[in-house]
Amino acid sequence: MDPNIQLMIYVIPLVIGFLMILPLGRSLFAPLSEYMPSLGNERGRVFSGLLLTCVAGMAVSFQTLWISSKISEGGNFCASNSILSCDDVIGNVEYNADPIFGIPWGGIGAATFCILLYFVYSSSKEPNADWVSSYLKMGTYLTFAGFFVIALLVFYEFKMEKICQYCTTAHFANIAAFIGFLRLMRMNQSKEWNTI
Amino acid sequence: MKYTYDDEADIRTTALIRVMALFFVGIMIIAATTSPIATGTKEGERAPALEGKFYNGSGWSDFDLESYWDPTWEAGDISGQWVVIEFMDTDCPYCVESAEEMGANAYNFGGGSDSQWDGAIVNFIASVTELDISGHDSSRAEMIAFRDKSANSGEECAGSECGSRPGIAHNFPYIDDLDQDNMKKWNIGGTPSYYLIQPDGIIAWSSAEHKGEKLLDAIVTLVPRESA
Repeated sequence: MDPNIQLMIYVIPLVIGFLMILPLGRSLFAPLSEYMPSLGNERGRVFSGLLLTCVAGMAVSFQTLWISSKISEGGNFCASNSILSCDDVIGNVEYNADPIFGIPWGGIGAATFCILLYFVYSSSKEPNADWVSSYLKMGTYLTFAGFFVIALLVFYEFKMEKICQYCTTAHFANIAAFIGFLRLMRMNQSKEWNTI
Repeated sequence: MKYTYDDEADIRTTALIRVMALFFVGIMIIAATTSPIATGTKEGERAPALEGKFYNGSGWSDFDLESYWDPTWEAGDISGQWVVIEFMDTDCPYCVESAEEMGANAYNFGGGSDSQWDGAIVNFIASVTELDISGHDSSRAEMIAFRDKSANSGEECAGSECGSRPGIAHNFPYIDDLDQDNMKKWNIGGTPSYYLIQPDGIIAWSSAEHKGEKLLDAIVTLVPRESA
């Protein structure tokens, strides 16, 4: 399968999740509340969108980790002469792992999205538990910290003059997750947490 | 009273187990479908990039080590071409001394016209640096004089005229690493250092891991040949 078509497996749920997170998700997904009651209120919709975003982010991060392992074997996955060439970015041994521990960026992304998924999944199951506000705060801070990593990785891509479309999808998932956690954190701080 | 479920159970435990299960499934899929090879300079690792301009006897052009690799090569295949990389300094007395042996090896294993070698072709490459030692003052002109054994070049290699070094003129590429970029990337502790690399880019032998062993013996032992 063409790697760009395969990427759609991650992009489609990510875009749906992102739309659920945004305020405009109300008009888009409210009609589905008859079948999925959680989509009938703002909190449930953002939780659902965030769950979808974190799962898609985790999956695409695992895929980039898989690509980097495949490239190290001597194979290729999405090499291209165009600017979109994830093999050139993920296969670059100078930039494809964090500079301190040498862990591949895909592995860091997968672990991070797992933590975010844990925060959002457990919070969605018990939204009135006393630990939920701290989980939402930690999710917001963690995704905000991700912006610095994204800036570094975009800088690497700029230096290489190549773009890794799989990495960019994971970056987008982090931005969408930040918006989701931020919205939930604000909702949680308001008195309308159980009414919206 | 017997409970059918635990009223006191915390959802966090269930969530943690489920998310961790997902994570480990992802890791297991990667472990089952790939065999990653680390990039490094130890035996069994994938050789890192070697960059810079190289001199091939007529001029300087961009060097690309990747172009030597054949990812489809399999152990024992005699058609694959092996690579020997020597990290050297034209002002290092041991490098000057070993130039004769390098020239002979490059001729014998690299397809010299009356060579007796019936094994896979071995390509030789020299990455020339300038060590931070007093009296080591190299230049591209010195590299050319050393490689080509140019007579009366006016260049001095380890205290003698470069053209008077032992052995034949070398016909393999000399990469300009005077800024030590490649040397640092390959963690070279001293010169000369040698690496014998398989056609798929995996390091088969390194002089740093076999002190006292000669490159010639490594080639004869590791590179496949018809008569073996």
